[in-house]
Amino acid sequence: MVLLKVIDGSGSNARDTRQARELDWSILMARAQDGDRVAYHRLLTEISPFLRSLATPRLRDGADVEDAIQDILLTVHAIRHTYDPARPFAPWLVTIAKRRLVDRLRGWGRIRRREVAMEREHEAVAEPQSDTGLDGHHLQAAVETLPPAQQKALRLVKLQDMSLKDASHASGMSVVALKVNVHRALKNLQRLFSDRIQP
Amino acid sequence: MIDTPDLIATLASDMKPVKRLQPPLVRALGWLGFAALLLALIAVNRGIRPDLGDRLRETAFATRTAAALATGILAAIAAFVVSLPDRSKLWLLLPVPALVVWLSNVGYQCLTHWVVIGPEGVSPGEAVRCFSTLVLTGLPLSCLLCFMLRYAAVLQPAAVAITGSLGVGALTAVALSLFHTIDASAMILMWNVGTTAMFGALGAFFGRTAMGWAADRMS
Repeated sequence: MVLLKVIDGSGSNARDTRQARELDWSILMARAQDGDRVAYHRLLTEISPFLRSLATPRLRDGADVEDAIQDILLTVHAIRHTYDPARPFAPWLVTIAKRRLVDRLRGWGRIRRREVAMEREHEAVAEPQSDTGLDGHHLQAAVETLPPAQQKALRLVKLQDMSLKDASHASGMSVVALKVNVHRALKNLQRLFSDRIQP
Repeated sequence: MIDTPDLIATLASDMKPVKRLQPPLVRALGWLGFAALLLALIAVNRGIRPDLGDRLRETAFATRTAAALATGILAAIAAFVVSLPDRSKLWLLLPVPALVVWLSNVGYQCLTHWVVIGPEGVSPGEAVRCFSTLVLTGLPLSCLLCFMLRYAAVLQPAAVAITGSLGVGALTAVALSLFHTIDASAMILMWNVGTTAMFGALGAFFGRTAMGWAADRMS
């Protein structure tokens, strides 16, 4: 019995507090409509936690919740002239908030229907395959199996990244000979590694 | 993304006194007053149908016209009320009884007294005049309604647009009944029900865009 009274009392207190708060918001909004910036700042600051409590269960993600709150505040600002001070403020605010949250959720729904999540298979760059034998050590060994002219041309032009002219000076080979030897070296390496990769 | 406290500070510093909206009934009466003025101007310019007095003595015609007029008035009131965030959606049902009476009357008349379109029943000239009346009535009313309800673009534009368009369509149908001799059943269906359905569809498809456009221009 005592417990019931306590619960009842706390319930009526909570209701009184809520009604007082809503009356306060109504007065602040009425003042804001008349151009009171301080009242408006106070109102928006006070309703933000309330809006957060509405948005959090629906959106969960913190950044989205904050985004939604700002969206609702901007809507309140845009249509603040539609509020009638003779009527309670909370239903006016809650309707706007729910409408914006529903629009946000619908927007996400549309995005989910039209977009596909990026999976590992969609990656454009293939992962290096560790068991193909294409590491630096194997490459070095493979280059050493090439004829000396091809080895020299490949090292200068591809591995040391020299220009054909500089490589020609360094090796004594003509530019044309360099080109031919690099081409043949690459062909040989390609054939060598493709033989290794074949099961 | 800007912080919420910074946004609040920005909005508060941007705060200017605003003119509160009049009660929705007052605003709806304003729009209906404009509609009445528009119909009066068209009546002066075009002249009403010559047999209007006789037709109004017929129960079916009088009921149909009165129900269409009531649908237009009630739909307009409903649109203005529902456009506000804190009003019940049940207001959308306000024009339904009048709409049911109107459409059932039209349907019953067509079913029991089907009047076939004869060679002189409809002429291309009359159809063009009907269409011009439809545009002259419907276009200004739609534009004004879009302008007056532009703030609803961010809330529930579809319901407001469809209800408002129903009002425009019904009043346009009244105008057609007053100014044009539409006695063939197919013509009554087309110019009454067809007009209302057309405005309703336009409201459903383009209402949000139109109200949003008006809101952007006026912000």
